[in-house]
Amino acid sequence: MMLEIDNLNVYYNAIHALKGISFHLEKGEIVALIGANGAGKSTTLNTISGILRPRIGSVLFEGEDLTKIPPQDIVRKGIIQVPEGRKIFSKMTVAENLDIGAYASNDRARIKSNMDMMFQRFPRLSERRNQLGGTLSGGEQQMLAIARALMAEPRLLLMDEPSMGLAPILVEQIFDIIRDINEQGTSILLVEQNAQMALSISDRGYVMETGKIVLEGPSNELLVNPVVIDAYLGGGHD
Amino acid sequence: MTRNISNALHSAIIFIVVTIFLFLIGFTTTGSELIIKALSPSIAKTSEGLEIGFTIFISLIGFIIGLVASKREEPDTLGRNLVAGTIAGLISGVVIGLFGFLMGTLIENGIDLRGYLQSVSPDSMRKIVFDQPPNIGALRLGGIILLSSIFGSFINSTVIRAEWRKSLSTSVSESSTADSVRKTASKLGANQGFRMAMMAVLAAILIILPQQWGSYWNFVMGTVGIYILLGIGVNLIIGLAGQLILGYVAFFAIGAYTFALLTAPAPHNLQWNFWIAVGLAMISATIGSLFIGLPILNLRGDYLAIVTLGFGEIIRILVKSDLLTKFTGGPRGVRDIPGPTIFGQSFSSDVDYMYLIIAAVVVTAFVANRLQNSATGRAWVAIREDETVSKTTGVNSFAYKLLAFALSAAIAGLAGALFASRNQFTGPDDHVLMVSINVLCLLIVGGMGSLPGILLGAFTLKGLPELLRELENYRLLIFGALLVVMMLIRPEGLWPATRPKLEEKGKSIEAQKGEPT
Ligand SMILES: Nc1ncnc2c1ncn2[C@@H]1O[C@H](COP(=O)(O)OP(=O)(O)OP(=O)(O)O)[C@@H](O)[C@H]1O
Ligand SMILES: [Mg+2]
Repeated sequence: MMLEIDNLNVYYNAIHALKGISFHLEKGEIVALIGANGAGKSTTLNTISGILRPRIGSVLFEGEDLTKIPPQDIVRKGIIQVPEGRKIFSKMTVAENLDIGAYASNDRARIKSNMDMMFQRFPRLSERRNQLGGTLSGGEQQMLAIARALMAEPRLLLMDEPSMGLAPILVEQIFDIIRDINEQGTSILLVEQNAQMALSISDRGYVMETGKIVLEGPSNELLVNPVVIDAYLGGGHD
Repeated sequence: MTRNISNALHSAIIFIVVTIFLFLIGFTTTGSELIIKALSPSIAKTSEGLEIGFTIFISLIGFIIGLVASKREEPDTLGRNLVAGTIAGLISGVVIGLFGFLMGTLIENGIDLRGYLQSVSPDSMRKIVFDQPPNIGALRLGGIILLSSIFGSFINSTVIRAEWRKSLSTSVSESSTADSVRKTASKLGANQGFRMAMMAVLAAILIILPQQWGSYWNFVMGTVGIYILLGIGVNLIIGLAGQLILGYVAFFAIGAYTFALLTAPAPHNLQWNFWIAVGLAMISATIGSLFIGLPILNLRGDYLAIVTLGFGEIIRILVKSDLLTKFTGGPRGVRDIPGPTIFGQSFSSDVDYMYLIIAAVVVTAFVANRLQNSATGRAWVAIREDETVSKTTGVNSFAYKLLAFALSAAIAGLAGALFASRNQFTGPDDHVLMVSINVLCLLIVGGMGSLPGILLGAFTLKGLPELLRELENYRLLIFGALLVVMMLIRPEGLWPATRPKLEEKGKSIEAQKGEPT
C-alpha cells in the first residue's frame, strides 16, 4: 500500500476539523476525495504534506510515518501538492515558478529536460515563460500549478480542487491532463467538489462530511449510489 | 505608441516644473556650484567653473528626462525609446528654453525679480542663459536638454535595459532552445564592451573622488556608504525573504561595540588588530542574530516586527546602563578607537576610510547580488510570496529565513565596526531606533531588491540633507520635493521588487484587468 491514513484527528485550536478519518491509496491509483465546503478535504491534504500536524493518528507512506517529518523532506519523498486556489508565485516568471518546483533536486540537466517537457505539454506556458505568474489567466495558472508540481517528479500527487473556477471546457482539459499524468505512473489523490468529474476518472472514492468519511467504494459504484447522486450529483446543490 | 508619447509628455511636464521650481528657489546656482566644487575645487570660484557646473546640472536634468521618458516601452526597441526621449527633450527643451529667454530678457531690461522671489538673483537670471544674449542662451539651454534627453533614452535602452534583459535571459537560457539562447547572447554581446567601459569609468571615479572631496565630503559620503551597507543587509531579510525585522540597529550596535571594546584603550585596553576585530564584530553580530532568530523566526509578520524592535531597544539600553559601565563604557560610550593599519602603515586618513567603506560596499554588493540571483535567492522570494507553498515545493523555509537573517546581521556588524572605527567613537546614541527606521526608509524610497535603488535611497536619506545644509532655509522643502520626484521616477520604489523593470510590466497588466490571484 502506498498511502495509508489511520484515524487522523486534526485540530485548528479548538476546531476539530478531522474527526478520525482513515483511508488508503494503492500505487498507480487515482483516488477521489469528495465533499462539501468545509468538510476537511484541504485539511487532509495539508496534513499529508506536513503543513498541519495531527493530534492523533498516522499518515503512512510506504510504511513510513510522515507525521514527524518536515514538509521539505516529505517533498523529497515524492509527495507533491497542487494547492487549492493554485497559489502560484505571482511575482515570479513562469520559468522561475517551474524552477522552484524542482527545488528539491540538484540535477540541473534533469531540471532543464523536465522544464522542456513541461513546455511541450503546456504550450501556452511556453509562450509565456517570461511572463509573471500573476498575469496569467486562471486556467493558465492552474496549468502552471500542475506543471510546477510535476517538475518535482512526484510519485504521489495531491490535487486540491484543480477544476475550481474554470470554464467547463478547461475543466475537461484539466481532467484529461490528470488522467494522462496518472497513466504515466503517478498515483493521484484528487480532492474535488466536482464529484461527477472526479468520480468518472478515479478508481475509488471517499465521501467526506464535516471531518468524517461517510461513504467509500469504487468510483463507478459511487456514481450510481443514490445518496451520492442526491447530495453531490443530481441534486445540484453542494 | 500612444503610451510612449503620453509617457514622454508626462516626464517632460514633471521636469519642466521641477527645473523651474529649482531655479525659483535659487538651487540652479547652488547646485552648479556644488557640482563644480565636487569635480574640481580649483576652478569652482571662477565664472567658467560655474558655467561648466551649470551645463552639467542642466545635462543631468535632461538625462533624467530621457531616462524617465523612455522607461515603459513595450516592446522596448531602441527606436521607440529614442523617439520618446526626443519628444520629451524637445518639449522640455523648448519650454525651459523659453523660460530662460524670459529671464534673460527681463534682466537685460533691468527688471529685478528679487522683490517677488527672494532667491531669484539677477546673477542667476543671467546664468540661466549662460551670460549670453537671451536668444542665444535660450537656444543653448534648450539644446543641451534635448541632446542629453536623447542620450538618456539611449543609455536606458542600451545599458539599463540590457541589464534587465540579462536577468531575463538567465531564466530563458535554463529552459529554452539553443536558438533563443544564441539570440539573447548576441544581443548582450553588443553591450558588453560598453558596460565594461562604464564600469571602468565608475571605478576611476570611485578612486579619484575621495581624494578630491576633502574631509567633510568624505565624512558625509562615508556615512552614506555605511547606510548602503545597512540597506544591502536589510534588503536580504526584508526585501528578499520578506521578514519584517525592525530592530536591525541591534546588530549594528553589536558590531560597533564588539569592535570598539576589542580595539579601544578603555575600558578593557585589549588593543586588538583592526582586521581581526572587524571579523569578530561580524561574527558576534551573526551569533546575536542566531540567538534571537532561532526562537522567533517562526513568528509571522507583526509579531516578528515587534519582537525584533524590542531586541534593538534592549541592546541599546544594555550598553547604556550604569550596571554595565565597566564593561561597555556606559552612557559615555567608547572613545579613542584607533584606526586600521596595512603592513604596519597607518591607514586611517579620511581618504583611506572612504576607500575602506567603498571596498566594503563593493564586496558586499557583489556577494548579495550573487546570492539574489542564485537558487538561494529564489527560495527567499518564494518564502516572501507564500511561505506555506514554498514549503510544499521543498524549500526549508526556516533554514533560509535564518540564513537571510544571519547574513544581514553580519553585514550590519561590518557596518557597525566601520562606523565606530571611522568615528573613533561609539556610544548608545549611535544606535537608536531611528537608525532602523532610516534604513527601512531608504529601502522604501530607493526600491526594495534593487542595488541602484539602495544607493539612491541611501544618498537621498543620508547624503542629500547634508548637501542641502548650505541651503539651510529650504532644506526640508527641497528634501520633500525631491522625495516626491523620486517616487515619480521610481514608483516601484514603494513596493518590494526583485526585478523592478519586469514587475512593472506585470503590474501594468494587472492594473488593467484587476489582480488575478
Ligand atoms: N486556518 C484555519 N483556522 C481555523 N479553522 C480552519 C482553518 N482552515 C480550515 N479551518 C476549518 O476546518 C474545517 C475544514 O476546512 P477545509 O479547508 O479542510 O475544508 P475543505 O473540505 O477543503 O473545504 P472547501 O471545499 O471549501 O475547500 C472548516 O470548518 C474550516 O472552517
Ligand atoms: Mg479546501
